[in-house]
Amino acid sequence: MKSLNGFKPLAMILPGLLLAMFIIGYPVLDLANTSLQEVSRFGQLRGFTGFDNFAEVFSDPLFWGSLKRTAIWTVTVVLGTLVISLPIAIILNDDFYGRGVARVIIMLPWAISLTMTAVVWRWALNGRAGLLNATLMDMGIMTEPIEWLAEAQLAFTVEMMIGILVSIPFTTTIFLGGLSSLPQDSYEASMVDGATRWDQFRYITLPLMKPFINIAIVLNVIYVFNSLPIIWVMTEGGPANGTDILVTYLYKLAFRFGQLGKASAISLIMFGVLLLFTVIYVVLVMRDEKDTAAGEDE
Amino acid sequence: MPSKLKKSLIYWAFLSPLVVVILFPFAVMLVTAVRPRDELFVYPPRWGFSEFRWDNFAEMWVKTNFGEALFNSLYVSVLSTVLALVLSIPAAYALSRYPFPGKGAYRTFLLMTQMMSPIVLVLGLFRLMVALGMVGNLNSLVLTYAAFNMAFTIWMLQSYFSTIPRDLEEAAWIDGASHLNSLIRIFLPLAVPAMAVTAIFSFINGWNEFVLALTMIRSSDDFTLPVQIYSQVAGRYQVEWHHVMAGTVLATVPVAIVFSWLQKYLIRGMALGAVK
Amino acid sequence: MASVKIRNVEKNYGSLRVIHGVSIDVEDHEFVVLVGPSGCGKSTLLRMIAGLETISGGDIMIGDKVVNDIAPRDRDIAMVFQNYALYPHMSIFDNMGFSLKLRKRPRSEIEEKVMEAADILNLKPYLERSPGQLSGGQRQRVAMGRALVRDARVFLFDEPLSNLDAKLRVVMRTEIKALHQRLQTTSVYVTHDQIEAMTMADRIVVMNAGRVEQVGAPLELYDSPANLFVAGFLGSPSMNFIKGRFRRAGDGAHVLCDDGTVLPVPATSGATDDQQVVAGIRPEHLRLAGEGAGVAATVDVVEPTGANIELFVELAGERVCAVFRERHPFRPGEKIALGWELDKIHLFDASSGHRI
Repeated sequence: MKSLNGFKPLAMILPGLLLAMFIIGYPVLDLANTSLQEVSRFGQLRGFTGFDNFAEVFSDPLFWGSLKRTAIWTVTVVLGTLVISLPIAIILNDDFYGRGVARVIIMLPWAISLTMTAVVWRWALNGRAGLLNATLMDMGIMTEPIEWLAEAQLAFTVEMMIGILVSIPFTTTIFLGGLSSLPQDSYEASMVDGATRWDQFRYITLPLMKPFINIAIVLNVIYVFNSLPIIWVMTEGGPANGTDILVTYLYKLAFRFGQLGKASAISLIMFGVLLLFTVIYVVLVMRDEKDTAAGEDE
Repeated sequence: MPSKLKKSLIYWAFLSPLVVVILFPFAVMLVTAVRPRDELFVYPPRWGFSEFRWDNFAEMWVKTNFGEALFNSLYVSVLSTVLALVLSIPAAYALSRYPFPGKGAYRTFLLMTQMMSPIVLVLGLFRLMVALGMVGNLNSLVLTYAAFNMAFTIWMLQSYFSTIPRDLEEAAWIDGASHLNSLIRIFLPLAVPAMAVTAIFSFINGWNEFVLALTMIRSSDDFTLPVQIYSQVAGRYQVEWHHVMAGTVLATVPVAIVFSWLQKYLIRGMALGAVK
Repeated sequence: MASVKIRNVEKNYGSLRVIHGVSIDVEDHEFVVLVGPSGCGKSTLLRMIAGLETISGGDIMIGDKVVNDIAPRDRDIAMVFQNYALYPHMSIFDNMGFSLKLRKRPRSEIEEKVMEAADILNLKPYLERSPGQLSGGQRQRVAMGRALVRDARVFLFDEPLSNLDAKLRVVMRTEIKALHQRLQTTSVYVTHDQIEAMTMADRIVVMNAGRVEQVGAPLELYDSPANLFVAGFLGSPSMNFIKGRFRRAGDGAHVLCDDGTVLPVPATSGATDDQQVVAGIRPEHLRLAGEGAGVAATVDVVEPTGANIELFVELAGERVCAVFRERHPFRPGEKIALGWELDKIHLFDASSGHRI
């Protein structure tokens, strides 16, 4: 009976585990294998070449450019998202007229695929007829339409702002979950203790939200680092690779230029970076769970 | 209470820039979708237009093969959701109810796969589907979506399952129900809302996915909606923007409505520990 | 220190009125306990004194100042919460010193005051721990310490002992009382436990359904409850009530129950002849009557508590409790006779519930 009890839960998790291991595990091994071989455009492996593919990647200025932009993209979007989302979550957690409507509107970008969002923005930013130009000209902010996506620096900036916009709902959701778990009586006690609203934010909200902020940072870093559709749909990394980040560059190498060995090498490098972020995340989550468990023991 | 009114005004003033930026693309989408074709490119650009051209939707439906893409998206989203749920429900139940060897390792594995993005593995996934002879086959998407969604669905489900009191099942056992019986009669009915919510989020994930669909699907007959709409825009000299926007309206508005209705459950699920 | 005056205070939630014009005066240095069943409005009233709830009508004064529109932080009060409300992310030291830190007091003063409070409450070994690492009783002490550090003008206690186990509750009860005797800080203490109210209070305010039923010193309330509610609420086991009609007969008087039982009562009572009354007698005032005297009763259940025997009998068709110090060998079904001193009986008007 005892051995059966141990077996039953294993049997319950096994089918899903097998599928996940197969669909996620096989590609990782295949990429590792491919990255060490010479590969034809059509995917035939032509024998081991050691770390030639990696060497090629590291001597490629486009890789370094993409890497730099990936860093800028990730840091800007994540920081921008956090700075905007925390006050928004605090507002949405409070009771005010129209809160339900506000919540729905703030969460809307999450409901829509990044692809669609990017397609719509690509049209809205159209240099000749785009409605953003129309709006800004109607408001008298400018007299001539602007080609938003024709110049790399401007296009990249716009893309980062859209990146922030679409990351806000998820981040706000994490913060709302966090805020709703904060002990209400701590706020009452602090009112009696003489805290102003600012004191409450500084000494209670912020420290107690720290685990949620940490998790929001790590998750957003992972998502933003991996985000392809916005840049791909709006500029395809152009003009002249000026908005390429690692994922778009990787996609081009693999499916446009057929440089499969090099693409595999970049995939593996990214996988490594991602793994590092993930380990940070897992450690954060586990630590958090341990704290909660310790608290519940009482 | 006047102080609440004052607070509300301040809050809305603070939120309004963001609200405008969020609603802006929706306005762009709607206004373009019903605009006559020859008023797309006018100088200077303007919001106004002469008449509502509802025919754009019908034209777009025929010209862009929208119906087929809609069907493909439904097919992939529904099947991947069913597959993910069928595999996740027992796993989530096991996680929330039983101790078992390797539980900690399994939870870590789930957290890690939750973080794995298809884009990093896209080349390997493509080669896997080549090896399986499934490139160009919608079922390749069903398999990959289900696999990548499972971490999320298991987390969501187990956090809800943990809130269903164990006593209820134990009471059923004492009342003479078998484990299976109590599972079917007591547990599952209580878990239906959780499963429905999780299913809808999994569906939306599949509905919105782009990179894998772009990679695996070769023939335009098999395009899902995001890829189909993207293909109307990418690499074309002449983009029929009114059709593209009509397509995005049809593809996004229903999902946005369902999502708005359900977002509070997502917040709850996260508060319960899908993220924590 | 300061007095607290509550003048015709009302509280409405929308159209629902939960507190109906309550007035209470708490003198300087006094320890007043608000007691009543759950939902009687006692906690709401306390939170209104603290400023955590708005006041719908009337005034609350601390010292000579109306505080209705003053934020809690400016009222100079300290409060011990039911769930302690310790800041989970701060050490015990920081929890206790938080209010002083907010007031920008120098570090040395904070340390001195926290140490002093920790000394009084035996918390010195725990100052660097976090609240999660303490037991319930220790957390309760920290909550007290946080209030002590303040030198506040008024202490407010919101059912501070209700989350402790029975034994610890008795210990802490005594400690709080000793602390008050030493510090003499004006205190308002809310509880649903009448024993806490009886043992700790200088004066008790009995509340029910948003109204004050009676105010007075504990024994005053115990000995002459103003109405049936107070009579039944204070005392454990609670007072026995028997319905009947008041009758005068010659020099004496009695209550005639529906089943014909005659209960002797004092003739000095102000009740009128044939008035519908409720006679109340506390269990400890019942005693075994001698042969041929007293009122007949049938033993139902016997519950020895060790110190006492609690006896439940059927008397005049009602279940009546009697408490004996002596260990009589009662048996269920046994017929006995019970008597009482006439002046120990309370008479209440049956319709209004008021004491006669």
